Amino acid sequence: MDNMLSKHDLMQKIQELSFCAVELNLFLDTHPNNTQALRDYSYVLSELQKLKLLYSQKYGPLLGFGESYVGSDYWQWVAEDEKWPWEGDMKI
Amino acid sequence: MTNPYFQQKMPNMSNLKLAQAYIPLQEYRNLFNVNEALYHGTIFRELYQPYKSPYPLKF
Amino acid sequence: MWVYEKKLQFPVNVRKKDLKMANAIFTQFGGPNGELAAALRYLSQRVNMPTSKAKGLLNDIGTEELAHVEMIQALIYQLTKDATPQEYKDAGLQGYYGIWDGSIFPSSPLGEPFTTAYINNVGDPIANIYENLAAEEKARSTYEHLLNLTNEPDIIKPLSFLRQREIIHFQRFGELLDDLQLHKEMKTQFVVRKDDK
Repeated sequence: MDNMLSKHDLMQKIQELSFCAVELNLFLDTHPNNTQALRDYSYVLSELQKLKLLYSQKYGPLLGFGESYVGSDYWQWVAEDEKWPWEGDMKI
Repeated sequence: MTNPYFQQKMPNMSNLKLAQAYIPLQEYRNLFNVNEALYHGTIFRELYQPYKSPYPLKF
Repeated sequence: MWVYEKKLQFPVNVRKKDLKMANAIFTQFGGPNGELAAALRYLSQRVNMPTSKAKGLLNDIGTEELAHVEMIQALIYQLTKDATPQEYKDAGLQGYYGIWDGSIFPSSPLGEPFTTAYINNVGDPIANIYENLAAEEKARSTYEHLLNLTNEPDIIKPLSFLRQREIIHFQRFGELLDDLQLHKEMKTQFVVRKDDK
């Protein structure tokens, strides 16, 4: 099912989950003993890892510096048709 | 101090010191769904405090 | 070590140019209550904090603030993309255009360059937390003023997100205050006991 997701939809799911991870991370920084929060963080983490791998296999690496899968025929990170995050999806 | 929330969260009013600020420790509860949290700006319902501008603008 | 992830924390997709709004939003890039000041404030404070919770939280919130800098850059970029010199003139921004054209420079809307004078860190960890609480409140209030300046949903959504983050950060720093105050008390008690021998 996830294989059918467009680049936009996959990115949206990653943003949604990634945000939860950041929120839980900050909460855990001041509540390190909270096992419920830890459990939820682990769940989000495992979902995120799956989605990020799928994204980078289909659409190019999400991270540089050794943190993300990359294909072997071109350094997709700097492909000319790549939109960088501040450029948005929409044409003005 | 008659705020019931404050009394509930703080251990004991007599433990509080003067000339010091206290912010209640948040409990882990009342979470938004994983796919809603981003659009609220938080995963915690109790911290969600939306703002709507009271100033009408003309265009 | 920082690694960059090629995504915005929250989407920014602006359909219509608005140079005056872009100018106002500059305050959250290079202004006194902006995201850049926040990132540097926290990433500097983290170094000398006495507890691991403090180092962790400052590190992590500081990192999130860099993601917010990026969102502000996205807003300004998209609000001014392909603007002509005439459009800059009509918006009263010919002064900015003359030097920087469409590029972004960390400054306030009034053209004051960014300065570490906005970052009032001191050596005392607890005093620094109060500085952070104040900074988060000021940032929240600034976002509210910006939200008063527009009706555009494309702009309102990311600004509202950023405003809500300030509230969460305030809460976390508040929780850290307790941790540091307790730490200070325990240190004082230990020292007193030692002297009693």
